Amino acid sequence: MTNENQTYFEDVELGDEIGPLEKVATDEGVVDFCTLWGNPIPNRFTSDEEAAKAKLPGPIVPGVMSMSLMAQLITDWAGPDGLKDLDVVFRQPVPHNKPLIITGTINDTRQEDGENVVQCDVLMTGTEGERYIIGTALVSLPSRS
Amino acid sequence: MYFDLHCHSVSSDDSRATVEQYLKWIQVLRKRGYTVDGIVLTEHRKFDFDKDYSQLADDYGVIVLKGSELDTRFGHFLVYNVTQGLANDIDFADVRMDARELMKAAQHHGALAIPAHPGRFGIGLVEFMDKGETFEDVKIVERLNGGGRPGENERADELCDSMGYLGTGASDAHLASHVCTCMTNFGMDICNEEDLVAALLSGEFSPVRLEETSIT
Amino acid sequence: MALELEYDRSLYGKEHEAGPFEVTEDMIISFNQSISQMGACYNDRDAAVEAGYRGIIAPPTLCTLFVRRVELPDINLKFGKTRFHGGQRVQSKTPIVAGDSISASSHLKEVYAKTGRSGTMVFIVWETTFTNQLGEVVADVQESYAARE
Repeated sequence: MTNENQTYFEDVELGDEIGPLEKVATDEGVVDFCTLWGNPIPNRFTSDEEAAKAKLPGPIVPGVMSMSLMAQLITDWAGPDGLKDLDVVFRQPVPHNKPLIITGTINDTRQEDGENVVQCDVLMTGTEGERYIIGTALVSLPSRS
Repeated sequence: MYFDLHCHSVSSDDSRATVEQYLKWIQVLRKRGYTVDGIVLTEHRKFDFDKDYSQLADDYGVIVLKGSELDTRFGHFLVYNVTQGLANDIDFADVRMDARELMKAAQHHGALAIPAHPGRFGIGLVEFMDKGETFEDVKIVERLNGGGRPGENERADELCDSMGYLGTGASDAHLASHVCTCMTNFGMDICNEEDLVAALLSGEFSPVRLEETSIT
Repeated sequence: MALELEYDRSLYGKEHEAGPFEVTEDMIISFNQSISQMGACYNDRDAAVEAGYRGIIAPPTLCTLFVRRVELPDINLKFGKTRFHGGQRVQSKTPIVAGDSISASSHLKEVYAKTGRSGTMVFIVWETTFTNQLGEVVADVQESYAARE
């Protein structure tokens, strides 16, 4: 299938930016995610009381959910099967119902075992300088030829 | 010379950048008109005696020095010119060591230990000084840290101004594209770790942001 | 006084298995809805087949939902009261397709201490390999949990 939005290896350069992608994890989205995950509700991701018990200022977005939001930056850009490795560090609790800005920066491009590999730094930040999650992604891109 | 005195490679548990990715990124910065001469890899709670980056350094035309960032009960300390003798005397993995003993041991072995991000909430030197702790050997602190949250570098500024400390600048990068966002501008040439300690002890340096190194 | 980590070191080298877990189309679509994941190959069977897949494929992080279904033993760490998720890594090898059965195998990778804005923390890292019904490794997932004083 051809996709007019497909990014090709020849089109990318060291230093290029990916995104930003803005996402919001709503209360409802977090409850749905926890239900699917099998995490009994209420928990520290869904309830003020449970969050307070864990010494959190409020319910937070689960790390696995935040990471899934970050992965979309790459899959939107590289295609559904382009993300090969996503490695993140959770630096600050991620809040519900606030804009989460996801960005990437290409820091390496190379050909490895016949694959076109692009390495990116990825970040999830808030609108007031919060740096919620940092990480790197390894992406495989198709060639135009 | 512009040096980033604090960055972490994948040798540190929470970094996701290889040394080569840092060096590639520095080429991007140079293409954009910024000046970078060298970096110091300050890995968490260890010193990589066995790692040799000289070939990479030559390939990319960047001076690559090695140091450490050690956890202490009074916050993190950057250690420059780590020697085997220092590593024998101090357990680098001990997150509860006394920073004052570390500073003394460093001095004894020709190294230098300075507080990293002293304004950092919860863990910066300021927190411990506010509780009445004193640190007579501190003369230099990391004044400008690229990983700070709003307000943290300002607390470091106040500390330097009130105590008369000299201040360095560094990125505290854990990702390739964050390296050299803050650096230290030295008035003398630095080729190795001994030169670096001499340059710091000379007092001839100042913290800078990457934008200030632009030659365009 | 150095911090001596006390935990059950005999767990190194032991695998803890779980599954197989059925990955259904409904599960993938519910996952997509909870995170507003668009993308034709994740949501539309015809589009996925046209793109060369056996069916709807799962976004690369869906396998992380199964990590906690492995019953991991307590490592009996004598440190800290609260735990939080410190980091995660997903290495995708081949896409998970709707209808796949996924098995998990986890082992203890590493335990170490560090200090941060919130004091001393001990990190516990588990690594899980997911394999599909064809015997192909679909993903490796590393999760690190931090225990805080």
